[in-house]
Amino acid sequence: MKNKIEQIRKERGILQDEFAKALGVSRQTISSLENGRYNPSILLAYKIAKYFGMTIEDVFIFEEEEQL
Amino acid sequence: MKIDRRIISNIIYVVLGTSLFGLGFAGVMDAFWSGMGGALIAVGIIRIIQILRCSNDESYREKIQIEAKDERNQFLRNKAWAWTAYIFVLMTAVAAIVFQLFGEELLSMVAGFAICILFVMYWLCYMVLNKKY
Repeated sequence: MKNKIEQIRKERGILQDEFAKALGVSRQTISSLENGRYNPSILLAYKIAKYFGMTIEDVFIFEEEEQL
Repeated sequence: MKIDRRIISNIIYVVLGTSLFGLGFAGVMDAFWSGMGGALIAVGIIRIIQILRCSNDESYREKIQIEAKDERNQFLRNKAWAWTAYIFVLMTAVAAIVFQLFGEELLSMVAGFAICILFVMYWLCYMVLNKKY
């Protein structure tokens, strides 16, 4: 699943370490999420969206074909 | 209080390990038990150092807690176990065939039995998890 985490984080001038600490995850997890190598749980996706003050749909891009 | 209890349990590991190692060294017990003792000493000492460091260094404690709770780490641990089991089954199956070809029927049977036990355990775990989730 694609996401806009890196874009939003950089726009707001938030460092990966700072972001990871706020979410209670490791910096590698943030890096993997941003590279699209790891898809978060619904709970983490919710925490990320809440941190940015956005909805999950605003941050994560669900593509139908991924399920095929 | 919780840290103290963990330190005590690890001190018990070190004492038990030292006893086993000593008995093995003195020739009372065989190398298996002294090896087990050595492992207990190592695990106990490493854990005690880790617990003491956690109680004195807040940033280290935070790092350890995040590493333990991090969902990607948990995912990786589960995935690594799944891969390990899969590779183990494949290697054991190959070993069973090789043992059979070389006439080592007992070893072949043991390998086959190990695979059967693993599949039964997998099935039981699946049933338990299926009920739980």
